[in-house]
Amino acid sequence: MSGSGLSRRDFMQIVGLGGASVALTGCGHTSIESGVELVESYVQPENFVVPGVGIYYASTCTQCGSGCGIMGRVREGRILKLEGNPLSASSGGKICGLGQAAVQQHYNPDRLTSPMIRQNGALKPASWEQAMELLGATLTPGEQQGRRVLLTGPTGGHQQILLRALVEAGGATDHVTYDALSTGVAASVNRKLFGVADPVTLIDRAGMIVSFGDDFLGAGESPVAAARQYARFRRGARRGLLVQIEPRMTLTGANADRWIVIAPGTEGVFALGLARELLQRKEAAGTLSPALVALIEPYHQAEVSRITGVRGDLIPRVAAMLWEHAPSLVLAGRYPQGHAHGSQNVAAIALLNVVLQNQGKTVMRAAELPFPQLAPTAGDTKSLLELNQSMASGQCRSILIHGTNPVYSAPAFMQFSENLQKVPFKAAWVTQLDETAMHCDLVLPLLSPLEDFGTHIAANQSDGTEISIQQPLMERLYPDARSFGDVVLDLLKRAKPNDYKSFPDYYGYLKSAVINAKPAYDPGVKDEEFWENTLSAGVLHRAGALQPLSAAAVTPAMVELPAPAAADPQYPFNLIPAVSASLRDGRPANLPWLQESPDPLTTVVWDSWAELHPSTAKAMEISEGDVLLIASAHGAIRAKAYLMPGIHPGSVSVSIGQGHESYGRFATNVGVNPLKILDPIFDRDTGELALYATRVSIAKTGQHERMVKDEGPTSLQQGRKLVATLAADQVDLTKETPFVIR
Amino acid sequence: MRLNGVSRLLKTHRARVGLCVALLVPFAFGGLVAAGEAFHQGGPIGSQTSDGYYALGPVVTQPIEFPHYIHVQKMGIDCLYCHTYARRSAVSGIPRLDKCIGCHNSIPEVKDKPRIKLLFDYWDKKQAIPWRKVHDLPDFVRFNHERHIQRFIFDQGRPTREACGYCHGDVGAMTTARRVKAISMGWCISCHEKDHKINAVSDVTSHGPNDCWQCHK
Repeated sequence: MSGSGLSRRDFMQIVGLGGASVALTGCGHTSIESGVELVESYVQPENFVVPGVGIYYASTCTQCGSGCGIMGRVREGRILKLEGNPLSASSGGKICGLGQAAVQQHYNPDRLTSPMIRQNGALKPASWEQAMELLGATLTPGEQQGRRVLLTGPTGGHQQILLRALVEAGGATDHVTYDALSTGVAASVNRKLFGVADPVTLIDRAGMIVSFGDDFLGAGESPVAAARQYARFRRGARRGLLVQIEPRMTLTGANADRWIVIAPGTEGVFALGLARELLQRKEAAGTLSPALVALIEPYHQAEVSRITGVRGDLIPRVAAMLWEHAPSLVLAGRYPQGHAHGSQNVAAIALLNVVLQNQGKTVMRAAELPFPQLAPTAGDTKSLLELNQSMASGQCRSILIHGTNPVYSAPAFMQFSENLQKVPFKAAWVTQLDETAMHCDLVLPLLSPLEDFGTHIAANQSDGTEISIQQPLMERLYPDARSFGDVVLDLLKRAKPNDYKSFPDYYGYLKSAVINAKPAYDPGVKDEEFWENTLSAGVLHRAGALQPLSAAAVTPAMVELPAPAAADPQYPFNLIPAVSASLRDGRPANLPWLQESPDPLTTVVWDSWAELHPSTAKAMEISEGDVLLIASAHGAIRAKAYLMPGIHPGSVSVSIGQGHESYGRFATNVGVNPLKILDPIFDRDTGELALYATRVSIAKTGQHERMVKDEGPTSLQQGRKLVATLAADQVDLTKETPFVIR
Repeated sequence: MRLNGVSRLLKTHRARVGLCVALLVPFAFGGLVAAGEAFHQGGPIGSQTSDGYYALGPVVTQPIEFPHYIHVQKMGIDCLYCHTYARRSAVSGIPRLDKCIGCHNSIPEVKDKPRIKLLFDYWDKKQAIPWRKVHDLPDFVRFNHERHIQRFIFDQGRPTREACGYCHGDVGAMTTARRVKAISMGWCISCHEKDHKINAVSDVTSHGPNDCWQCHK
C-alpha cells in the first residue's frame, strides 16, 4: 500500500466506482434498477393489445341479483378494475361498491384451487377425476330412494336452464332456491293483487314516494338502477319528494325529505290509517269495495297514532302531499314483510297504490321477455325450512349446493348444520371455502365470476328487456378451477349424452344459444358477427313497452291486521337484523374493501355493532362501546353499543353479514351474526321466515371496547352543540320555507 | 472527485500509456463496429462506451445478446418500428416476437447464426423471450413515454434516434441496452427546466412540467 502511492482515500474512491451492486447503482443518486424485473413480452398478441393501455371488456356483475352490466379494464392480461357498462340499461355505466369489490373475490388469497374430498373427517385435496366420479355416482337415480336436491341461490339466465334440464334428466329430484334476504312475502302479495310477483316500480315517473322500509338506494333489489331513476326523480321540473317510514333508518331513509320512525310491525296499521285519510277525497271514490272501506274505518288518527307511535297529524299531511304530488308511488320493503302478519302489512301498503290509482303510472308490469325461460327465479326461505325438515327426517339422499351459504344464514333454531349431517352425500360448488362447504363431503373449486361465462336478466327492467352477458375478463388464475356451467353440462352429458354432445363446453352452449336468439335481436347480420357484437356490447337489448297490471283484487281478509302483541317482559326489545348495502346476506364479507368501507349510517368498519336509541341507552346507562349481551329465546350474541338516533326506542339493531366462523382470513371471527338468534316466527300466509319479529333482552356484560369508526371517537356532536337541531314535533312546520314539505 | 485519485495513480508513464490503451481499446472495437463485428460493451460502471457516454448502469445479460447496432446502423431501422408503443402508451414496449420473425423468416442468409437460432427456438416453442428491464424506474415514479415522444418527435420534428438518445443514449450503437444516463429525478428536472419551442413551426417556447403530481401521481 505504501510504496504505490495509493492512499486509502484513493483506494476507496476507485473501489467505489466498480463496487456498486447490480441493482441499485451509482452516479446521480437514482433509484433506478437494471436487470432485475422482466419486460412485458408478447409472442403474438391481438393487434389491439398495447402494453400500458387498458382494454375494456363487457361482462355482468354477479355480486347481488341486480344483474348490472359492467366493463372490466384489462391491462397486460389482468383485470384491474370494474366500471359500469354504459350500454347496459340496468347499470347505465354506473356500478356500486359491491361491484367494485368483485375484483377482490377474483384475486382473493383464500380461493379454493383444487377439489376437496372428505377423508377421515377432514377435507383433503383431490383430483377432478375423483371428484366427478363421486359426483356422477351420487347423481344417478339408482335403486335407492330419497331426495337428491339441488340447493342454490336465486338463479336466472342459461345457468337456470341447465339446472332445470339437470332435474328433468334425473340428475336431481328437485331444485330448491333459497335467499336469506327473501322478499317472498311481497312476491306472494303482488301475485295475488297484480298477477305478477315483481311489478316494475317507476321511481323516476313519480312525483312523490312513500317507502315503508324499502331501501331501494342501499340494500334493495337493484340499487344502481334505482339510484339512477332516483336522480331523475329529484331533478324533475318539480322535485320529487321522498317520505320513508321504518323502525330503523336505512340509507334510503337518510336521503328522505321526511323520515318517520314507526313501531316495528305496525306499518300495515299506518298504511290503513293513511288509506282512510286518502279515501276522504273524491279522487279515491270507487277504488275500494264497500267491505274494504268498512274495514278501514276504525283506523282513525288517534288509534293509528296510539298503535304505531307516529304523530297523528302526520297522516293527513302525508295524504295531502300524496294527492298534491301525483303520480305517487308507495313501496313496501323488508321491514313490514318480516312479521307473522307480514302478508297483511304488505297488502295494506299495496292498497295505497290502488287507492292512489298508481297502476299504469308508476307501478306496471315489465315488458314481455322474448325468452321467458331465462327470467330469474327469486329465492325464498320457506323452501329451506321445508328442506330442513326433509333432511331432519332422513328423506334426503344427496344435496348439491351452489351460490348460497345456509349453514351461515339459517337461524340456530333450525339446527341446519346438524340436519345437513344426516344427508349421506353433500357437495358444494364455491370459489372459496365457506361454512356450508366446510360441512360437505365434496367441494368443487369454481371459476370466479370474472373468469366465467353466463347470461343474466336484470331485476326491475323499466326500459324494454335486456339479457346481460357475462364473459371472462382474463385467463383463469387457477388451472384446476372449473366453470359452473361446464360442470353442469358435464353432468347433463352423463345423464343424457345424445342431447348435449354437440356442446364441447358451456361457452359452446351459450354461443349456440345466443346465435339461436339472433332473429329476435339482429336478424340481418351473420351468426359469427352477431356473437362478436353481443360479446362486445355485453348486452342484448330489445325495445318493449311496459304492460298494464291486472286489476288489483284486494279482499278484506288480506288486510286483516292482528291486534298488537302484548309486550314480553322477559324479552322487552325488538331485534332488527338490518341489511347493509355492503354486506347484504354475508357473502361479500370476505372482501376487505367492503369491510373497510364505513357503514354509511354509523361509519363503523370491520366489526358488528348494536344500535340503540340514545334515550334507551341513557335509561339503561349504556354508553358507546359497552359490550351488550343480546339474547333471544334461541340464542345470544354480544356486540358493542352504538347510540343511533335513527331507530325506534324499543328496538335494537345489529347488521347482518358478519360473524363468520370459517370464510377466509378477512371474514372469519369478525363481528357477530344476528340471524342465528332469530325466533321461529313465520309469515302466516306464505310460511316465510319472519326476519323482524324476534324479541330480545339486552344486558350489559360490564366489558367495554373502543368502537372503530370513521366519524371519530364520539358521535352525537361530541357532547357539544355543533349543529343546532330540533325534533320535528317541536317545530312549527307551517312556518318553514317553501322548499320544505308542507 | 473521481479523477483526483485516478490521476495520482497515473504518476508513472507506464500507467499513462496503459490507461490510453485501455481508453483506446473501446474505440478500437468501435472502429470494428462498422465492419460488423461484435461490439463488446462490457466493462465496469464508469467505463466509457464507444459513443462517448459513461456506462452508469451494469451490464444486463439478456436471453439473446440482441445487436441494436446491426438493426439500427446497418439496416437503418427506426426505433419506433420495434418499440412501437412509445408513441401511444406509457411504456415503449418490446417488439412482439412475431415482428422479429416477420423479417427474419425472409433472411435465410443469417438463419444459422447462433443468436438467430435462439430466436427461432423461442418462436417454435411459442415462448415469450424473457427480456430484462434496463431502465426500471421505481413504482412511485410514473413516466409516460407517449407524452415525451409526441412532444419531441411529432410536435418538434426531432429525429427519432436523437430523441430516444436523450434518455437512453445511443442504443443504436450498442448490442443490448445499457444505462448510460443518470435518470435521476434531478436529471429529469434539469431537462424539464429547459425552454424549447413547443413545435417545429412555432416560436412559442415552453418548458416541461415541474409540479410533483405530474410524475408522482
